[in-house]
Amino acid sequence: MNRAAASHEVDGGPLIRATSDRDVLAEAAGLTVGYGGVAAIENVSFRVRRGERIALLGPNGGGKTTLLRSITGEADRISGSLRVSASWATVPQTERSRLDYPVSALDVAVMGSLASLPWWRQPGRRERAAALQALERVGMVKLAGATFGELSAGQRQRVLIARGLVQDAGLLLLDEPFTGLDASSSDRLETLIGALATEERGILIATHDLEQARRWDLVVCLNRRQIAFGPPGEVLNLAVLEATYGGAIVAIPDSGGLGILPPHHHHQS
Amino acid sequence: MLDPFQLPFVQRGLLELLILSIPAGLLGTWIVLRGLAFFSHAVGTAAFPGLVLADGLGFAAPLGAFGAAVAFSAGTAVVARRRPGDQDSLTAMVLVGCLAIGVILASDVFRSGSNVETLLFGSLLLIDGRDIALAAAAAAASLGAAVLFGRRWLAAGFDPTAAKSVGAGAPYLQIALLGLIALATTAALSVIGALLVAALFVVPSATARLWTSRMLSWQISSVVLVAVEGTAGLWLSVKTNAPPGATIATLSGAVFALAAAARAMPRPGRRTCLSAAVAAVAFLVAGCSSVASNDSGKLQVVATTTQIGDFVREVGGNAVAVDQILQPNTDPHEYEPRPSDIEGAAGAKLVFANGDDLDAWIDQVVSESGSEARIVDLGAAVPVKLPGESSGAEASRYDAHWWHDPRNAEAAVEEIRRALIEAEPSNAAEFRRNADAYLGKLRALDRGIAKCMDSVPATQRKLVTDHDAFGYFAKRYGITVVGAVIPSQTTQAQPSAKDVSDLVNLIEREGVTAVFPESSVSPKLAETIAHETGASSDHTLYGDTLGSKDSSGATYLQMEAANADAMVQGFSGGKRSCSIHGIG
Repeated sequence: MNRAAASHEVDGGPLIRATSDRDVLAEAAGLTVGYGGVAAIENVSFRVRRGERIALLGPNGGGKTTLLRSITGEADRISGSLRVSASWATVPQTERSRLDYPVSALDVAVMGSLASLPWWRQPGRRERAAALQALERVGMVKLAGATFGELSAGQRQRVLIARGLVQDAGLLLLDEPFTGLDASSSDRLETLIGALATEERGILIATHDLEQARRWDLVVCLNRRQIAFGPPGEVLNLAVLEATYGGAIVAIPDSGGLGILPPHHHHQS
Repeated sequence: MLDPFQLPFVQRGLLELLILSIPAGLLGTWIVLRGLAFFSHAVGTAAFPGLVLADGLGFAAPLGAFGAAVAFSAGTAVVARRRPGDQDSLTAMVLVGCLAIGVILASDVFRSGSNVETLLFGSLLLIDGRDIALAAAAAAASLGAAVLFGRRWLAAGFDPTAAKSVGAGAPYLQIALLGLIALATTAALSVIGALLVAALFVVPSATARLWTSRMLSWQISSVVLVAVEGTAGLWLSVKTNAPPGATIATLSGAVFALAAAARAMPRPGRRTCLSAAVAAVAFLVAGCSSVASNDSGKLQVVATTTQIGDFVREVGGNAVAVDQILQPNTDPHEYEPRPSDIEGAAGAKLVFANGDDLDAWIDQVVSESGSEARIVDLGAAVPVKLPGESSGAEASRYDAHWWHDPRNAEAAVEEIRRALIEAEPSNAAEFRRNADAYLGKLRALDRGIAKCMDSVPATQRKLVTDHDAFGYFAKRYGITVVGAVIPSQTTQAQPSAKDVSDLVNLIEREGVTAVFPESSVSPKLAETIAHETGASSDHTLYGDTLGSKDSSGATYLQMEAANADAMVQGFSGGKRSCSIHGIG
């Protein structure tokens, strides 16, 4: 584990220096991952430290979810290195199958406690208390008894975050957490993510929304390879965005900002 | 109302069902939740090669079934790890492998002739202590595992991605779940048979899922529902004299359909719908009159096969009430007991059996009924015996189709007469009178057939049938058995491509003019071979069973005369026929 990563010069990316920094939760160097030996994203190099909120920005199919999966072990590492030195928790997109599950919000939060229990032990009063505390933290304690599938999308995200808190994960992986959320739910989730970062957790947030990405500490731009990695103010320039989104970028007059032309001009919810 | 539950064999079935409701209900929720319905169905069927091995090598069947089911589960788990994908496709792949191994083992290694349906068959009416112990073990294991692993199974199913990070992704959890399903379905095999396992393991849980929203309440209602549906189905099956497994399956399917329909209804309509359903059930129950025996005062006897039933009726006349288990045109190799068979055995003083493994199930039926009846093995009393199939631990010493030699029928009738007189000496005179008259007809039959056959040159008497059932007939009347479409004495074996082509060559070389299909076996194979060789397949033989009441083979005498006529016509290319006098 103490193996120091060698320095890598990455196209369009910053120089990653060898480090034994205790604050580093995960570090990728020249990482290529994919499925069944076929690369989905190539040459990714970035680092997550405690307290950092990092956006994974890119178009659909750009490899954001694959990058998260390389951390969870669902995608295969083809070359390069990936070091994950913290426990991780995922907040996946909600699938239909999950909505059908006969579980309450509290049941889901309690699942986070299984990791620290030996196989013969069942969650007891202490684990329930910890789960309720986590639900309190995400503002869901009043709905602890509600069926998970009947909650709103934003409420479900917060319950899944509570599960990660019970797990006491150092690294939270959020896959498109803002999709389908209304404005007040979005604000609430954003505040929560901010608060979690102040607790020294590292947070990876996959998003295809440029405005979202601007609000976090760092951004990794992905389009089947790493386009850029750095603070949003530095890396989110026209060239990087064009490379990320494949030319569908327009400068927005008067605001001095940049916008992405959504593909096929459909309405984004 | 509750009278069926006073019968000891029904009580044992009920106990078995109530014990099984625990693993079925508990695991059922996991099967439904984790999408393992097809797996749970397949694992019972995949026990087939294990049962063939147990049969061939002579060890306990549940052990073979469980071994094969565990190997199947492990196989699916391994394949699923190597090639993640749709569980159902993987299950199907491994299942096909298991079935193929089973068929090859059965047909080519042990030549046991057993097929999937017969080995994977079960009946709630034939439960013994071993079945109950196995069910209890499955219940204890499921209960323990549900408490121990339930939370982790739930977490892994809820979020497979996160499973590893929350400590629910360990391989032992999935293996434990699949292994338990294997154990529980194996325990249920002897009860409901592999084909209906879903009636206990899937349907009730899927039904209970409709009105529960938490794991615990779902599991409890699912266990209760299995117990209630099982009890009701068993009761109904005794009342209607239907096979219990099928009754329970039908009932659980109907309850699911009703529950789903009620759920889809708007609230005000639900009450009407439910009362209509209750009324329908009440009507059904009222319509099911109990099976009453109105033969009081007569000597009660059981006969296993149609021809033995015929003999016993001839000898017994009006003094004997015969409960004949196999019905016309059913194949004795495929038998599932009905409640009335066991009730009949319970009240019987004598049970007449064919012996030579044709009706080996009768011992279990009699012991299950708690009957004191004496089993008379007629096969042991007949003078002419031909060797049975040689290989396989279960192969019988003698060919079981002894009745096709009328001299054997005579000996059987004499044995029946002896047994009836011993059981009821007061009617001895009538039994003797009946038997003498019938023995005279049997001798006339024997002479008549011999005469008919003499009208065909011996070189033309070449017999190709569906299965090797006519050895005794052929030997008695100088007929050469060239071959059989199914190269075995049981109808359950499958011929290989080489068997078929060998037979076709043989038929052409020997100049066989006719292939004879059997009345109770599908004529397809015989017709195909006849078509291939230019032989005729127009003449049907009665092999293992009498024909229905208005057929040309309704009694033993008619059956053998019809066979003789069919053979003479077939051998002579339709130029000759055979009618026998003195048997009508």
